[in-house]
Amino acid sequence: MRLILIDSLRENRSNFYPLVLGRPIWELRCGISSLADKLVAKINPDEIAYFVPDYMAAYYKTQVEKPVNDVTTLAGDDLLLLDPSVKAVDFDVAATGPSEIGINEQGQVLYARISEKDVDGLKAADIEQFVASAKASLPNVKCRLSCWEYTWDLVLANAEEVTSEFAALGQHGLEGDVEEPLAIRGSKKDIYVAPGARIHPMVTLDAEHGPIYVNEGAEIHPFSRVEGPCYIGKNSLLLGAKCREGNSIGDFCRVGGEVEESIIHGYSNKYHDGFLGHSYVGEWVNLGALTTNSDLKNDYSNVSVMLDGRRSVDTGSTKVGSLIGDHAKTSIGTLLNTGSYVGAMALVMATGKPLPKHIPSFGWFIEGNVTKGFGKGRLYETAKTAMSRRGCQWSERTEAMWDAVFEITSPVRKAAIKKGRRRLSM
Amino acid sequence: MATVEERVKAITAQKLGVDDIKLEDSFTADLGAESVDSIELVAMFEEEFGIEMDEDAALAVQTVGDAITFIANVCKEQGVEIEQ
Repeated sequence: MRLILIDSLRENRSNFYPLVLGRPIWELRCGISSLADKLVAKINPDEIAYFVPDYMAAYYKTQVEKPVNDVTTLAGDDLLLLDPSVKAVDFDVAATGPSEIGINEQGQVLYARISEKDVDGLKAADIEQFVASAKASLPNVKCRLSCWEYTWDLVLANAEEVTSEFAALGQHGLEGDVEEPLAIRGSKKDIYVAPGARIHPMVTLDAEHGPIYVNEGAEIHPFSRVEGPCYIGKNSLLLGAKCREGNSIGDFCRVGGEVEESIIHGYSNKYHDGFLGHSYVGEWVNLGALTTNSDLKNDYSNVSVMLDGRRSVDTGSTKVGSLIGDHAKTSIGTLLNTGSYVGAMALVMATGKPLPKHIPSFGWFIEGNVTKGFGKGRLYETAKTAMSRRGCQWSERTEAMWDAVFEITSPVRKAAIKKGRRRLSM
Repeated sequence: MATVEERVKAITAQKLGVDDIKLEDSFTADLGAESVDSIELVAMFEEEFGIEMDEDAALAVQTVGDAITFIANVCKEQGVEIEQ
């Protein structure tokens, strides 16, 4: 059986902006693993193939070894086409069996199970045609699979997900280099320090309320306090951090200050003091010293987020911090309002006041206004420098993808720039 | 209608808080513009003249005189009426 992940069957990918501007939805993380990892672990397919938006296909082919946007994968096997926002834990559909198309209450396709004998009768010029053809000609069934709807859903589920994935992995013990004195609270069975990880003296690992997983090569500096549930990725550094419960930190990150219930992708830095709470941070982000975000409103009402720069979406939660896109940079002293959206490649300079809740992708937020700044070329130069410092390459395909993102995000950015210009001229 | 030169000088004076601006004045060396000021000046010129400027080209402009020429050319290209 071949699992085909399609981003996205429900055409809801903007719900996950800015994090999915440079990656497919299934690369989002929750707990210890990505959404793709969870689906693959649950379904256990023989093969896997991906369909991503065209603009990121060439780039994504450099990131994975499996077929990407290859229509030949839509034949020759039993297929399970799946929307990656379906929650793996609740996916109770048999991976093989008679063909059926799972439709939610809104009439959207969540999965398409297609047996090999039915594949030949379907049109497969492209993935959209293939799915439409399957929906039209194969039995449709109503289904109530639960789905991730917005990025903050992942943040809010993170602590629980770390706990369940830690239990599933079944690893525990101090296999890394641990220097005394080390303070452990809770049970040692709820702590795993992988080989090659280093725990400096004067560190507290508090697993009383949840497990702690410190992956290979990670290093925890003195006076850090790590509360479980928590996952610390490979080769990441905690620098005297107050790492509160519910965090997932990706590989090669540098994290200091206070962090709570947040997900951080790889290669991002929050080196210095400042609070990050209930937030989702992309790759190659740099949060300047004392960058702080609010994750709770003074009146304890639900937090809303402006995903498109115009309309607010009620998150239904009183605790939501910031969504920060890949390669975004904040200056020292940046104050992010509750439910802030900082677009990919955005550059933010502090104003001394909480920032507007939506900074568009590629926007240069300067002196309280969104501007064109020095343009995307200068942002690319910075990204190249940041990546080369960690031995990573900015390729032509990377640039082509971000050029496409620049165009996709242009209308929202132009509206914000226009507003900023008017304010400047007053 | 004021000329391009008058309008550029007025905005520059307003933004940078300087008087007696000469055509040969460098925005950075003579008028004290920081990089942030340059970005804001570009935004203010775009709003004033109703034009879109390529940021790399605009930010490469060094002097007030060059800015006037550059803006006049962009206005011409984009069909915006100006007083020379």
